[in-house]
Amino acid sequence: MPTRTELALVLALVTCAPALAADVIAPAHPLDDPAAVKAAYAARIGHPVHVLTFSFGEHYATATVQNDAAPDEFDRFEMTPGQPMKEGQPQKSGSIDCRKKIAFADVDLAVAARVLGEARAIAAANGYSKPENVELGADVFCNDFGWRARLTSEASSDAFLEIVWTPNGASPKARQMKNDDWAKVDMKTLAAGGAKAPAAPPKNEPAPTPADGRTRDFTRGIEADLARVEAKIGAPLAFKHISVGKDQLSVDVFPPASKKRVASWIVGSDGEIKLWREDDTIPFDCNKPFAAADVPIAQLPAMIAGAPALIPPMAQGWVKSVHIYRSGLCGSPHVFIEVEDDRGYGNVEYDGRGRLVSAAVQ
Amino acid sequence: MPTRRLLFAFLIAFSTFAVAADAPPASDFAWPNLTDFLKQLIAKVGTPVKVYKLEIDGDGKVDLWIQDQRKPDLVDSYEYEHGTMSEPIPVKFDHYPSVAAVDHHVIELTTIDFQRLPSMLAAAKAKLGLPDARVSTIGLERGDSSGFLTFSDIPIWTFSLSTPRHDGRVEFSLDGKVLDADKD
Repeated sequence: MPTRTELALVLALVTCAPALAADVIAPAHPLDDPAAVKAAYAARIGHPVHVLTFSFGEHYATATVQNDAAPDEFDRFEMTPGQPMKEGQPQKSGSIDCRKKIAFADVDLAVAARVLGEARAIAAANGYSKPENVELGADVFCNDFGWRARLTSEASSDAFLEIVWTPNGASPKARQMKNDDWAKVDMKTLAAGGAKAPAAPPKNEPAPTPADGRTRDFTRGIEADLARVEAKIGAPLAFKHISVGKDQLSVDVFPPASKKRVASWIVGSDGEIKLWREDDTIPFDCNKPFAAADVPIAQLPAMIAGAPALIPPMAQGWVKSVHIYRSGLCGSPHVFIEVEDDRGYGNVEYDGRGRLVSAAVQ
Repeated sequence: MPTRRLLFAFLIAFSTFAVAADAPPASDFAWPNLTDFLKQLIAKVGTPVKVYKLEIDGDGKVDLWIQDQRKPDLVDSYEYEHGTMSEPIPVKFDHYPSVAAVDHHVIELTTIDFQRLPSMLAAAKAKLGLPDARVSTIGLERGDSSGFLTFSDIPIWTFSLSTPRHDGRVEFSLDGKVLDADKD
């Protein structure tokens, strides 16, 4: 709760705000003097408001407020320690997604400073990064209005811990991201360092195959580079998707060890081969592999070069992309060539035997 | 010379708007000189001019899409800014429209009353209760209105306005009747 002295200071500053507003200087050490921060905000705002969000830390603070006299007016006020506070920036009414709020008089920045300290202690005890600030406001669903600390970890992008206190700093509750879902965490457990940030999964990526000094145009042929990828993986390529661009060849393949994973390998125009990503297969997606022998790889350059001419209005067009994957509902693999010109797009499709299926403007 | 006579008729038709553009009433919007633009356009492409889409941005730059009368499945964009009209820019569609689709979509230039624009802008500001609003865009295209009483597939003027605190949009029919108004 603010002291009577603080309230008197705020009241005095609000009363004489118009005279002072032009030269309101933010306190140099906000966490050491939260009452002065609040007084500076009161002077800068200069009229009764409700607060929708208030982010508070030692380096920066920002508040989004609603004018009590004109509830359709929202402004954002920023504060940098030791610097003059600028006038509020009007906010579009339509950009205010959640209108949960608290009277400015009820905002207690001493509470904010305290809970920020608690959040930092919890972060240190559990291997999270030090949070820069805490924020008063509601969650993304416009619920749970209170002071909120969001902890992340530099070691793992999957680590996420959120602690929420009521506006007066009571009843903290926490939840931690585990296996892509939230799990409640007891505050005592957090204080004891019993909810460590999950470690990043070990990286097991193979080293890229370096460039070989030769510049490629993959629209002129991919056989040799598919053979290099096959040698890199050490097993016949079980394709899910082949994507051919002038400067890049990308292949999605089922790794030899697991048909429930898909690895995406990229060959650059300089010949470098690297694993871009590896993910689980998507259930109900077509996960039936095809082999290089199932598609007319050798005919591909001619198919690509001749594709624009197959669509009469687009004879002057160019090839935008080439993809090879199973057509329809997991049918046989087809070659799909997308053609582009100044006016639009067209599509050319060949089947696995190299027979033209269709050629038409899009 | 029918083309010369048509050009003369267009110039007569739009000459009053040139005055309106020079001294826009009840508005601080810098109206582009549409008379000059259309004069340049007609001199280049002849008549009829069939408008696929028109857009005027907040700085008064105009982007006009018209059907190519020699190849009616094609649409070209002509931009007009500071008194200069661009060369035709091919319009690229995600899906090639058919000639019939383009024929149906276009609006005959002669049916568009540009003189109404300043009063429509004033009406839009009044309707939104935003007298100080600035123009974000003014557009004309065939489409469906989104008001309480909806109209399908008609030419719609859309005035998108903004202030530091609000965005608003008012739709008008070609004859200047308000079809819908919406403010954030």
